[in-house]
Amino acid sequence: MSLVVLIISAAIVNNFVLTYFVGICPFIGVSKKIDAALSMGIAVTFVMTITAIVTWIINRFILIQLGLPFLEYVSYIVVIASLVQFVEMFIRKTSPALYKTLGIFLPLITTNCAILFVALLHTMRGYGFIESVVFGIGAGVGFTLAIVIMAGIREQLETADIPKPFQGAAITLIVAGILALAFMGFSGLVAA
Amino acid sequence: MVLIAAAMMGLIGLVFALFLVTANTRFAVETDPRIAELEDTLPGVNCGGCGYASCAAYAEAVAQNGEKIDLCVVGGEETTRDVAHVMGVKVSDEQKDKLVAVVFCQGDSEASAFPGEYRGIPECAAAIYSQDVAKRCKYGCVGLGSCVAACPFDAIHMSPTGIPYVDAEKCTACGNCVIACPRDLIELHPLKYDAFVYCKSLDPGPIARKVCNKACIACNICVKAAAADDNPEAVSVTDNLARVNTSNYSAKPEYGAKCPTECYNSNRNLVKKDEAMARIKASRASRAEAVET
Repeated sequence: MSLVVLIISAAIVNNFVLTYFVGICPFIGVSKKIDAALSMGIAVTFVMTITAIVTWIINRFILIQLGLPFLEYVSYIVVIASLVQFVEMFIRKTSPALYKTLGIFLPLITTNCAILFVALLHTMRGYGFIESVVFGIGAGVGFTLAIVIMAGIREQLETADIPKPFQGAAITLIVAGILALAFMGFSGLVAA
Repeated sequence: MVLIAAAMMGLIGLVFALFLVTANTRFAVETDPRIAELEDTLPGVNCGGCGYASCAAYAEAVAQNGEKIDLCVVGGEETTRDVAHVMGVKVSDEQKDKLVAVVFCQGDSEASAFPGEYRGIPECAAAIYSQDVAKRCKYGCVGLGSCVAACPFDAIHMSPTGIPYVDAEKCTACGNCVIACPRDLIELHPLKYDAFVYCKSLDPGPIARKVCNKACIACNICVKAAAADDNPEAVSVTDNLARVNTSNYSAKPEYGAKCPTECYNSNRNLVKKDEAMARIKASRASRAEAVET
């Protein structure tokens, strides 16, 4: 499978948020403003890519070599948790404003299932190193795309005349559902 | 196998731990040491009474944006002093006044009894919304205790006669009950001032009198008393209701000495539970006597 197809597949056709429904928590939580959503997307993409690299190395050279594939989940979680800690330190140092905007959702990237999903999926599908990295980037781009689109819509919704029972969380979830429906239109564009 | 697995996990953990330690020293952020000190000083209950989301947020605002030091209502005077100590400033006189919630209604089940019975959700707002019952006065306390439920400090309780009373020692003036009351009967006032008109009825005198025998009927007696004391700004009557001037708290309890409905007084609704119980027993006994004869 060519890498271009892989990245399109991960980002659009099999978009993590809108097709696999993983990472919904930050998708709803940080999609109020486009700026914050974009930063969140970039942070997640970064963590995803590094996670893909590190977990691939750990899986290939430690877990498989020593016959310990059952340690997948535990070791991946350790990797993700440490990386998120690192990203948190990094952002706190470089951009306090961004650190405040992301707030609790930054440490919560740790429990963002989309990240663990990337690691598990590349192991399950037996991707090579380059493929895994590209897959991680693609998934991150897909997440960023979804969350930024969502934030754009929600910014418009601020001024929309929404019937009272639908205001707030309800309309957000409805929009997410319609968005997922729209993304289903891409299915069949590429295989897998 | 188990040993290898354990060793591997340990190793992976160790590597990442070392990585994080180096990163932490590398990316250490210098924060104002006073923030941590202030956080230790503040009560840490995160009640939101100061207007900030948490004690930590307030500490940061004090240390960095020069926020007022006396906003913590839970810690009160003591905390203000400690905060002032950390920030190296002095506590001014007006910052020392402890605020306490005051309930502006005396229409208990004796004074403003409702002939019917409310059996809906035990929430004041629900009772008002559904059928406007519980007490006859449409401005008075509903008596279902939404304020009691809202109090995080166990400082406000419902007396058996259906008027909340405030425990001044426990009250921290966090303002939760003020928000909870659907009829806006609760306000925060300094503990040392005690002369208020404990009524918020805007009904004209005759109607107010009819629905509650402790309502303000706007008779102007307290206003005249204040004028006679050469303090005409202390009390005024607007919209059929006497109000004390709360911008300078110059009203004195004596102005209410001749109040015909006893709504101007200085009891602050800090009634004790046993007092209320005694009153109820007495009224029951008198009613029982009336039935016998």
